[in-house]
Amino acid sequence: MEATQEINFLSILLPLVLVVFVIAIGVFLLNQHFQKNLIRQQLEREELRNKHQKELLQSNIEVQEAERKRIAKDLHDELGATLSIAKMHLMRLEQMHPSLESKGLSIRNVRNIIETSIASVRQISHHLMPNQLETFGLIRSLEGMVDQINESKQVEIDFEIPQNPSKLSWEKELGLYRIFMELIQNTLKHSQAKNVEISCHEDDGFVTMRYKDDGVGLPEKMVHGLGLKSMEARIKAVGGSLEFIRGDGFAARLTVPIKDD
Amino acid sequence: MFESIAKSVIDYSNIPTFIVGIYTMAIYKRLPREMKYFSWFVFVSFVVQVIASILFYNSENNLPLLHIYTVVGFVCLIIFYNQIFDGLIKPLILWVLAAVFVVYSVINSIFIQDIYTFNSYALSVEAVIIIILSLTTFVFLMNDIVKERRLAIIKSISWINAGLFIYYSSSLLVFYFGNMIISFAQSPLVRYTWFIYALFSIIMYFCFFVGLWKRPRKSIS
Repeated sequence: MEATQEINFLSILLPLVLVVFVIAIGVFLLNQHFQKNLIRQQLEREELRNKHQKELLQSNIEVQEAERKRIAKDLHDELGATLSIAKMHLMRLEQMHPSLESKGLSIRNVRNIIETSIASVRQISHHLMPNQLETFGLIRSLEGMVDQINESKQVEIDFEIPQNPSKLSWEKELGLYRIFMELIQNTLKHSQAKNVEISCHEDDGFVTMRYKDDGVGLPEKMVHGLGLKSMEARIKAVGGSLEFIRGDGFAARLTVPIKDD
Repeated sequence: MFESIAKSVIDYSNIPTFIVGIYTMAIYKRLPREMKYFSWFVFVSFVVQVIASILFYNSENNLPLLHIYTVVGFVCLIIFYNQIFDGLIKPLILWVLAAVFVVYSVINSIFIQDIYTFNSYALSVEAVIIIILSLTTFVFLMNDIVKERRLAIIKSISWINAGLFIYYSSSLLVFYFGNMIISFAQSPLVRYTWFIYALFSIIMYFCFFVGLWKRPRKSIS
Protein backbone atom coordinates (compact mmCIF):
# COMPACT_ATOMS: atom_id res chain seq x y z
CA MET A 1 0.00 0.00 0.00
CA GLU A 2 2.79 2.37 1.03
CA ALA A 3 4.81 1.37 -2.04
CA THR A 4 1.87 2.20 -4.35
CA GLN A 5 1.49 5.60 -2.67
CA GLU A 6 5.22 6.23 -3.12
CA ILE A 7 5.00 5.33 -6.83
CA ASN A 8 1.96 7.59 -7.24
CA PHE A 9 3.74 10.43 -5.46
CA LEU A 10 6.87 9.99 -7.59
CA SER A 11 4.90 9.73 -10.81
CA ILE A 12 3.31 13.09 -9.99
CA LEU A 13 6.33 14.84 -8.53
CA LEU A 14 9.00 13.82 -11.02
CA PRO A 15 7.30 15.19 -14.14
CA LEU A 16 6.56 18.37 -12.19
CA VAL A 17 10.24 18.70 -11.31
CA LEU A 18 11.03 18.09 -14.96
CA VAL A 19 8.62 20.84 -16.03
CA VAL A 20 10.17 23.29 -13.55
CA PHE A 21 13.62 22.27 -14.80
CA VAL A 22 12.58 22.88 -18.43
CA ILE A 23 11.27 26.33 -17.44
CA ALA A 24 14.48 27.18 -15.60
CA ILE A 25 16.67 26.03 -18.50
CA GLY A 26 14.48 27.93 -20.97
CA VAL A 27 14.70 31.16 -18.97
CA PHE A 28 18.45 30.73 -18.50
CA LEU A 29 19.14 30.12 -22.22
CA LEU A 30 16.92 32.98 -23.36
CA ASN A 31 18.63 35.32 -20.91
CA GLN A 32 22.06 34.28 -22.10
CA HIS A 33 20.95 34.91 -25.66
CA PHE A 34 19.48 38.28 -24.71
CA GLN A 35 22.63 39.40 -22.85
CA LYS A 36 24.81 38.39 -25.81
CA ASN A 37 22.63 40.29 -28.27
CA LEU A 38 22.53 43.32 -25.97
CA ILE A 39 26.34 43.49 -25.90
CA ARG A 40 26.49 43.01 -29.67
CA GLN A 41 23.93 45.80 -30.21
CA GLN A 42 25.84 48.11 -27.87
CA LEU A 43 29.07 47.48 -29.79
CA GLU A 44 27.30 48.15 -33.07
CA ARG A 45 25.89 51.42 -31.71
CA GLU A 46 29.30 52.43 -30.43
CA GLU A 47 30.80 51.69 -33.83
CA LEU A 48 28.09 53.71 -35.55
CA ARG A 49 28.65 56.63 -33.14
CA ASN A 50 32.40 56.53 -33.83
CA LYS A 51 31.77 56.44 -37.55
CA HIS A 52 29.44 59.40 -37.26
CA GLN A 53 31.99 61.33 -35.19
CA LYS A 54 34.68 60.55 -37.75
CA GLU A 55 32.46 61.78 -40.56
CA LEU A 56 31.71 64.93 -38.61
CA LEU A 57 35.40 65.51 -38.01
CA GLN A 58 36.19 64.86 -41.65
CA SER A 59 33.59 67.32 -42.86
CA ASN A 60 34.83 69.89 -40.31
CA ILE A 61 38.36 69.56 -41.60
CA GLU A 62 37.14 69.66 -45.22
CA VAL A 63 35.26 72.91 -44.54
CA GLN A 64 38.30 74.34 -42.76
CA GLU A 65 40.59 73.41 -45.65
CA ALA A 66 38.19 74.80 -48.25
CA GLU A 67 38.08 78.08 -46.34
CA ARG A 68 41.88 78.15 -46.07
CA LYS A 69 42.14 77.50 -49.80
CA ARG A 70 39.76 80.37 -50.54
CA ILE A 71 41.63 82.80 -48.25
CA ALA A 72 44.99 81.70 -49.71
CA LYS A 73 43.69 82.25 -53.25
CA ASP A 74 42.20 85.66 -52.39
CA LEU A 75 45.41 86.74 -50.68
CA HIS A 76 47.59 85.57 -53.54
CA ASP A 77 45.42 86.64 -56.47
CA GLU A 78 43.92 89.87 -55.15
CA LEU A 79 46.11 91.38 -52.44
CA GLY A 80 49.28 90.02 -54.03
CA ALA A 81 48.28 91.35 -57.44
CA THR A 82 47.33 94.77 -56.04
CA LEU A 83 50.64 95.07 -54.23
CA SER A 84 52.50 94.03 -57.39
CA ILE A 85 50.70 96.75 -59.37
CA ALA A 86 51.58 99.30 -56.66
CA LYS A 87 55.22 98.18 -56.82
CA MET A 88 55.19 98.51 -60.61
CA HIS A 89 53.83 102.07 -60.39
CA LEU A 90 56.48 102.99 -57.85
CA MET A 91 59.20 101.62 -60.09
CA ARG A 92 57.87 103.70 -62.98
CA LEU A 93 57.72 106.74 -60.72
CA GLU A 94 61.31 106.08 -59.69
CA GLN A 95 62.39 105.87 -63.32
CA MET A 96 60.39 108.91 -64.45
CA HIS A 97 61.29 111.20 -61.56
CA PRO A 98 64.78 110.36 -60.25
CA SER A 99 64.89 113.86 -58.70
CA LEU A 100 62.27 112.88 -56.06
CA GLU A 101 64.91 110.76 -54.31
CA SER A 102 67.15 113.76 -53.84
CA LYS A 103 64.27 115.78 -52.34
CA GLY A 104 64.07 113.33 -49.42
CA LEU A 105 61.11 111.30 -50.75
CA SER A 106 62.40 107.76 -50.50
CA ILE A 107 60.36 105.86 -53.06
CA ARG A 108 62.84 102.98 -52.80
CA ASN A 109 61.95 102.52 -49.12
CA VAL A 110 58.23 102.35 -49.95
CA ARG A 111 59.04 99.92 -52.77
CA ASN A 112 61.02 97.74 -50.34
CA ILE A 113 58.14 97.73 -47.87
CA ILE A 114 55.75 96.69 -50.64
CA GLU A 115 58.17 93.95 -51.76
CA THR A 116 58.32 92.65 -48.19
CA SER A 117 54.53 92.73 -48.05
CA ILE A 118 54.28 90.77 -51.32
CA ALA A 119 56.69 88.16 -49.92
CA SER A 120 54.67 87.96 -46.70
CA VAL A 121 51.41 87.55 -48.60
CA ARG A 122 52.99 84.76 -50.67
CA GLN A 123 54.28 83.05 -47.51
CA ILE A 124 50.95 83.31 -45.68
CA SER A 125 49.13 82.09 -48.76
CA HIS A 126 51.56 79.20 -49.07
CA HIS A 127 51.13 78.24 -45.41
CA LEU A 128 47.38 78.36 -45.76
CA MET A 129 47.36 76.10 -48.80
CA PRO A 130 50.60 74.63 -50.10
CA ASN A 131 50.26 74.59 -53.87
CA GLN A 132 53.11 72.17 -54.38
CA LEU A 133 51.25 69.52 -52.35
CA GLU A 134 48.55 69.39 -54.98
CA THR A 135 51.09 69.37 -57.80
CA PHE A 136 53.95 67.22 -56.50
CA GLY A 137 52.43 65.18 -53.66
CA LEU A 138 53.31 64.73 -49.99
CA ILE A 139 56.85 63.35 -50.22
CA ARG A 140 58.12 66.00 -52.64
CA SER A 141 56.43 68.77 -50.67
CA LEU A 142 57.98 67.56 -47.44
CA GLU A 143 61.32 67.33 -49.20
CA GLY A 144 60.94 70.95 -50.35
CA MET A 145 60.05 72.05 -46.82
CA VAL A 146 63.01 70.09 -45.37
CA ASP A 147 65.39 71.73 -47.88
CA GLN A 148 64.13 75.19 -46.94
CA ILE A 149 64.60 74.52 -43.21
CA ASN A 150 68.03 72.95 -43.75
CA GLU A 151 69.06 76.07 -45.65
CA SER A 152 68.17 78.18 -42.63
CA LYS A 153 70.74 76.13 -40.60
CA GLN A 154 68.47 76.25 -37.54
CA VAL A 155 68.19 72.46 -37.42
CA GLU A 156 69.45 69.64 -39.61
CA ILE A 157 66.65 67.45 -40.91
CA ASP A 158 67.38 64.02 -42.28
CA PHE A 159 64.50 62.80 -44.45
CA GLU A 160 64.45 59.16 -45.42
CA ILE A 161 61.92 58.37 -48.14
CA PRO A 162 60.74 55.09 -49.69
CA GLN A 163 61.72 54.11 -53.23
CA ASN A 164 58.26 54.19 -54.81
CA PRO A 165 55.88 55.86 -52.39
CA SER A 166 52.19 55.04 -52.87
CA LYS A 167 49.85 57.83 -53.80
CA LEU A 168 47.57 58.66 -50.90
CA SER A 169 44.23 60.45 -51.15
CA TRP A 170 44.29 64.25 -51.06
CA GLU A 171 42.76 64.30 -47.55
CA LYS A 172 45.44 61.98 -46.20
CA GLU A 173 48.33 63.82 -47.86
CA LEU A 174 47.04 67.18 -46.64
CA GLY A 175 46.46 65.79 -43.13
CA LEU A 176 49.96 64.32 -42.91
CA TYR A 177 51.49 67.49 -44.34
CA ARG A 178 49.74 69.63 -41.74
CA ILE A 179 50.80 67.30 -38.93
CA PHE A 180 54.43 67.41 -40.07
CA MET A 181 54.27 71.19 -40.29
CA GLU A 182 52.99 71.26 -36.70
CA LEU A 183 55.68 68.82 -35.52
CA ILE A 184 58.47 70.79 -37.20
CA GLN A 185 57.14 74.06 -35.82
CA ASN A 186 57.06 72.57 -32.32
CA THR A 187 60.64 71.39 -32.73
CA LEU A 188 61.76 74.81 -33.93
CA LYS A 189 59.88 76.69 -31.20
CA HIS A 190 60.24 74.56 -28.08
CA SER A 191 62.65 71.65 -28.37
CA GLN A 192 66.09 73.28 -28.73
CA ALA A 193 66.89 70.36 -31.01
CA LYS A 194 69.80 70.29 -33.42
CA ASN A 195 68.83 67.25 -35.46
CA VAL A 196 65.56 65.87 -36.75
CA GLU A 197 64.98 62.51 -38.38
CA ILE A 198 61.96 61.84 -40.55
CA SER A 199 61.41 58.45 -42.08
CA CYS A 200 58.63 56.97 -44.12
CA HIS A 201 57.98 53.36 -45.04
CA GLU A 202 55.11 51.22 -46.24
CA ASP A 203 54.08 47.89 -44.83
CA ASP A 204 50.92 45.75 -44.95
CA GLY A 205 48.84 48.42 -46.64
CA PHE A 206 49.86 51.12 -44.17
CA VAL A 207 52.18 54.11 -44.44
CA THR A 208 54.18 54.59 -41.27
CA MET A 209 56.01 57.87 -40.77
CA ARG A 210 58.39 58.46 -37.90
CA TYR A 211 59.47 61.81 -36.58
CA LYS A 212 62.27 62.19 -34.06
CA ASP A 213 64.28 65.12 -32.72
CA ASP A 214 67.10 65.32 -30.18
CA GLY A 215 65.55 68.15 -28.19
CA VAL A 216 64.24 68.39 -24.64
CA GLY A 217 61.36 66.02 -25.36
CA LEU A 218 57.87 66.00 -23.99
CA PRO A 219 57.21 67.43 -20.52
CA GLU A 220 56.38 64.98 -17.71
CA LYS A 221 52.77 66.09 -17.70
CA MET A 222 51.69 66.39 -21.29
CA VAL A 223 49.23 69.23 -21.85
CA HIS A 224 46.77 68.62 -24.65
CA GLY A 225 47.04 71.98 -26.35
CA LEU A 226 45.38 73.14 -29.54
CA GLY A 227 48.23 71.87 -31.75
CA LEU A 228 48.10 68.37 -30.30
CA LYS A 229 44.32 68.24 -30.49
CA SER A 230 44.43 69.39 -34.10
CA MET A 231 46.99 66.69 -34.97
CA GLU A 232 44.92 64.00 -33.27
CA ALA A 233 41.75 65.17 -35.00
CA ARG A 234 43.42 65.19 -38.40
CA ILE A 235 44.89 61.71 -38.07
CA LYS A 236 41.61 60.35 -36.72
CA ALA A 237 39.71 61.89 -39.63
CA VAL A 238 41.80 59.94 -42.14
CA GLY A 239 41.51 56.70 -40.17
CA GLY A 240 45.09 56.69 -38.96
CA SER A 241 46.82 56.73 -35.61
CA LEU A 242 49.29 59.04 -33.93
CA GLU A 243 51.54 57.83 -31.14
CA PHE A 244 54.03 59.79 -29.08
CA ILE A 245 57.03 57.80 -27.94
CA ARG A 246 58.82 58.77 -24.75
CA GLY A 247 62.58 58.61 -24.58
CA ASP A 248 65.46 60.91 -25.48
CA GLY A 249 64.09 63.90 -27.31
CA PHE A 250 60.71 63.87 -28.94
CA ALA A 251 59.43 61.06 -31.13
CA ALA A 252 56.13 60.39 -32.84
CA ARG A 253 54.82 57.65 -35.09
CA LEU A 254 52.01 58.19 -37.58
CA THR A 255 50.26 55.33 -39.30
CA VAL A 256 47.75 55.78 -42.10
CA PRO A 257 46.03 53.14 -44.25
CA ILE A 258 47.04 53.49 -47.92
CA LYS A 259 43.64 52.51 -49.27
CA ASP A 260 40.52 54.48 -48.40
CA ASP A 261 37.65 52.80 -46.50
CA MET B 1 -20.99 30.80 1.91
CA PHE B 2 -17.71 29.85 0.28
CA GLU B 3 -19.60 27.60 -2.12
CA SER B 4 -21.75 30.48 -3.31
CA ILE B 5 -18.70 32.78 -3.69
CA ALA B 6 -16.89 30.08 -5.67
CA LYS B 7 -19.94 29.59 -7.90
CA SER B 8 -20.25 33.35 -8.53
CA VAL B 9 -16.57 33.65 -9.38
CA ILE B 10 -16.81 30.78 -11.85
CA ASP B 11 -20.06 32.08 -13.36
CA TYR B 12 -18.91 35.68 -13.76
CA SER B 13 -15.26 35.06 -14.66
CA ASN B 14 -16.12 35.96 -18.28
CA ILE B 15 -17.06 39.51 -17.41
CA PRO B 16 -13.45 40.83 -17.09
CA THR B 17 -12.75 39.41 -20.58
CA PHE B 18 -15.64 41.47 -21.98
CA ILE B 19 -14.68 44.62 -20.05
CA VAL B 20 -11.01 44.48 -21.11
CA GLY B 21 -12.03 43.58 -24.68
CA ILE B 22 -14.37 46.58 -24.99
CA TYR B 23 -11.86 48.90 -23.29
CA THR B 24 -9.11 47.75 -25.68
CA MET B 25 -11.35 48.41 -28.69
CA ALA B 26 -12.02 51.92 -27.39
CA ILE B 27 -8.33 52.80 -26.98
CA TYR B 28 -6.87 50.69 -29.81
CA LYS B 29 -5.90 53.66 -32.01
CA ARG B 30 -4.07 55.37 -29.15
CA LEU B 31 -2.03 52.31 -28.20
CA PRO B 32 1.70 52.13 -28.92
CA ARG B 33 2.87 49.52 -31.42
CA GLU B 34 3.75 46.75 -28.92
CA MET B 35 0.42 47.04 -27.14
CA LYS B 36 -1.49 47.00 -30.42
CA TYR B 37 -0.09 43.51 -30.98
CA PHE B 38 -1.10 42.56 -27.46
CA SER B 39 -4.60 43.85 -28.05
CA TRP B 40 -4.98 41.27 -30.84
CA PHE B 41 -4.70 38.63 -28.12
CA VAL B 42 -7.36 40.44 -26.09
CA PHE B 43 -9.66 40.65 -29.13
CA VAL B 44 -9.21 36.96 -29.91
CA SER B 45 -10.00 36.10 -26.26
CA PHE B 46 -13.03 38.39 -26.39
CA VAL B 47 -14.45 36.90 -29.60
CA VAL B 48 -13.80 33.33 -28.44
CA GLN B 49 -15.44 34.06 -25.09
CA VAL B 50 -18.53 35.55 -26.76
CA ILE B 51 -18.95 32.57 -29.09
CA ALA B 52 -18.19 30.11 -26.28
CA SER B 53 -20.86 31.74 -24.07
CA ILE B 54 -23.45 31.58 -26.87
CA LEU B 55 -22.67 27.90 -27.47
CA PHE B 56 -22.78 27.22 -23.73
CA TYR B 57 -26.23 28.80 -23.34
CA ASN B 58 -27.41 26.76 -26.34
CA SER B 59 -26.09 23.65 -24.56
CA GLU B 60 -23.57 22.93 -27.28
CA ASN B 61 -19.99 21.75 -26.82
CA ASN B 62 -17.68 24.75 -27.08
CA LEU B 63 -14.40 22.89 -26.59
CA PRO B 64 -13.43 22.98 -30.32
CA LEU B 65 -13.19 26.74 -29.83
CA LEU B 66 -10.61 26.20 -27.08
CA HIS B 67 -8.46 24.21 -29.52
CA ILE B 68 -8.53 27.10 -31.99
CA TYR B 69 -8.05 29.69 -29.25
CA THR B 70 -4.97 27.87 -27.90
CA VAL B 71 -3.21 28.16 -31.27
CA VAL B 72 -4.35 31.66 -32.29
CA GLY B 73 -3.85 33.13 -28.79
CA PHE B 74 -0.38 31.64 -28.59
CA VAL B 75 0.65 33.11 -31.96
CA CYS B 76 -0.68 36.54 -30.85
CA LEU B 77 1.38 36.33 -27.65
CA ILE B 78 4.49 35.32 -29.61
CA ILE B 79 4.04 38.40 -31.83
CA PHE B 80 3.64 40.52 -28.67
CA TYR B 81 6.80 39.11 -27.05
CA ASN B 82 8.69 39.52 -30.32
CA GLN B 83 7.84 43.21 -30.19
CA ILE B 84 8.90 43.52 -26.55
CA PHE B 85 12.26 41.85 -27.13
CA ASP B 86 12.87 44.17 -30.08
CA GLY B 87 15.52 42.02 -31.72
CA LEU B 88 17.41 41.38 -28.47
CA ILE B 89 16.09 37.85 -28.67
CA LYS B 90 16.24 36.70 -32.28
CA PRO B 91 12.70 36.77 -33.75
CA LEU B 92 13.52 33.52 -35.56
CA ILE B 93 13.72 31.67 -32.22
CA LEU B 94 10.21 32.77 -31.30
CA TRP B 95 8.84 32.08 -34.78
CA VAL B 96 10.29 28.57 -34.76
CA LEU B 97 8.79 28.08 -31.30
CA ALA B 98 5.41 29.28 -32.57
CA ALA B 99 5.58 27.03 -35.66
CA VAL B 100 6.54 23.97 -33.61
CA PHE B 101 3.77 24.66 -31.14
CA VAL B 102 1.15 25.11 -33.88
CA VAL B 103 2.17 21.81 -35.49
CA TYR B 104 2.18 20.05 -32.11
CA SER B 105 -1.18 21.53 -31.19
CA VAL B 106 -2.79 20.48 -34.49
CA ILE B 107 -1.38 16.95 -34.16
CA ASN B 108 -2.66 16.85 -30.58
CA SER B 109 -6.15 17.95 -31.64
CA ILE B 110 -6.34 15.46 -34.51
CA PHE B 111 -4.68 12.38 -33.07
CA ILE B 112 -4.35 12.66 -29.29
CA GLN B 113 -7.00 14.85 -27.67
CA ASP B 114 -10.12 15.08 -29.79
CA ILE B 115 -11.47 18.59 -30.48
CA TYR B 116 -14.51 17.80 -28.29
CA THR B 117 -12.29 17.13 -25.30
CA PHE B 118 -10.16 19.39 -23.13
CA ASN B 119 -6.75 19.94 -24.85
CA SER B 120 -4.76 19.88 -21.61
CA TYR B 121 -1.52 18.71 -23.29
CA ALA B 122 -1.37 21.64 -25.70
CA LEU B 123 -2.41 24.04 -22.93
CA SER B 124 0.33 22.70 -20.62
CA VAL B 125 3.01 23.16 -23.27
CA GLU B 126 1.65 26.62 -24.05
CA ALA B 127 1.77 27.48 -20.33
CA VAL B 128 5.40 26.30 -20.04
CA ILE B 129 6.46 28.43 -23.01
CA ILE B 130 4.58 31.52 -21.81
CA ILE B 131 6.06 31.11 -18.31
CA ILE B 132 9.56 30.98 -19.83
CA LEU B 133 8.86 34.05 -21.95
CA SER B 134 7.29 36.02 -19.11
CA LEU B 135 10.14 35.24 -16.70
CA THR B 136 12.63 36.25 -19.40
CA THR B 137 10.64 39.45 -19.88
CA PHE B 138 10.92 40.27 -16.16
CA VAL B 139 14.73 39.90 -16.36
CA PHE B 140 14.73 41.79 -19.66
CA LEU B 141 12.79 44.70 -18.18
CA MET B 142 15.18 44.93 -15.23
CA ASN B 143 18.12 45.66 -17.52
CA ASP B 144 19.22 49.31 -17.29
CA ILE B 145 19.65 49.76 -21.04
CA VAL B 146 16.19 48.34 -21.72
CA LYS B 147 14.75 50.54 -18.97
CA GLU B 148 16.29 53.59 -20.58
CA ARG B 149 15.04 52.68 -24.06
CA ARG B 150 11.51 51.72 -23.10
CA LEU B 151 10.87 53.96 -20.14
CA ALA B 152 7.48 55.08 -21.41
CA ILE B 153 6.00 51.64 -21.90
CA ILE B 154 7.75 49.63 -19.20
CA LYS B 155 4.93 49.88 -16.63
CA SER B 156 2.30 48.69 -19.08
CA ILE B 157 4.40 45.78 -20.26
CA SER B 158 5.22 44.79 -16.67
CA TRP B 159 1.55 44.62 -15.71
CA ILE B 160 0.55 42.68 -18.81
CA ASN B 161 3.49 40.32 -18.40
CA ALA B 162 2.68 39.82 -14.71
CA GLY B 163 -0.91 38.95 -15.65
CA LEU B 164 0.25 36.38 -18.18
CA PHE B 165 2.76 34.90 -15.73
CA ILE B 166 0.23 34.58 -12.88
CA TYR B 167 -2.44 33.04 -15.09
CA TYR B 168 -0.26 30.59 -16.99
CA SER B 169 1.66 29.38 -13.93
CA SER B 170 -1.57 28.65 -12.09
CA SER B 171 -3.08 27.09 -15.23
CA LEU B 172 -0.08 24.86 -15.61
CA LEU B 173 -0.72 23.35 -12.20
CA VAL B 174 -4.43 22.98 -12.94
CA PHE B 175 -3.74 21.27 -16.29
CA TYR B 176 -0.95 19.21 -14.78
CA PHE B 177 -3.12 17.86 -11.98
CA GLY B 178 -6.12 17.75 -14.32
CA ASN B 179 -6.28 13.99 -14.62
CA MET B 180 -5.92 13.55 -10.88
CA ILE B 181 -8.66 16.10 -10.21
CA ILE B 182 -11.01 14.40 -12.66
CA SER B 183 -10.66 11.20 -10.62
CA PHE B 184 -12.31 13.12 -7.77
CA ALA B 185 -15.23 14.05 -10.07
CA GLN B 186 -17.82 13.91 -7.34
CA SER B 187 -15.80 15.86 -4.82
CA PRO B 188 -15.93 19.63 -4.22
CA LEU B 189 -12.22 19.63 -5.16
CA VAL B 190 -13.19 19.96 -8.83
CA ARG B 191 -15.29 23.04 -8.10
CA TYR B 192 -12.49 24.56 -5.98
CA THR B 193 -10.00 23.92 -8.74
CA TRP B 194 -12.17 25.70 -11.30
CA PHE B 195 -12.74 28.46 -8.75
CA ILE B 196 -8.95 28.96 -8.46
CA TYR B 197 -8.60 28.81 -12.23
CA ALA B 198 -11.34 31.41 -12.70
CA LEU B 199 -9.87 33.57 -9.95
CA PHE B 200 -6.47 33.66 -11.66
CA SER B 201 -8.16 34.43 -14.96
CA ILE B 202 -9.84 37.43 -13.29
CA ILE B 203 -6.50 38.52 -11.83
CA MET B 204 -4.91 38.23 -15.30
CA TYR B 205 -7.57 40.46 -16.86
CA PHE B 206 -7.24 42.91 -13.97
CA CYS B 207 -3.48 43.11 -14.73
CA PHE B 208 -4.26 43.57 -18.43
CA PHE B 209 -6.64 46.40 -17.60
CA VAL B 210 -4.06 48.16 -15.39
CA GLY B 211 -1.41 47.65 -18.08
CA LEU B 212 -3.66 49.14 -20.74
CA TRP B 213 -4.67 51.97 -18.41
CA LYS B 214 -1.04 52.83 -17.68
CA ARG B 215 -0.21 52.98 -21.40
CA PRO B 216 1.97 55.90 -22.52
CA ARG B 217 -0.39 58.77 -23.18
CA LYS B 218 1.81 60.51 -25.70
CA SER B 219 2.48 58.75 -28.98
CA ILE B 220 5.91 57.16 -29.05
CA SER B 221 7.82 56.41 -32.21
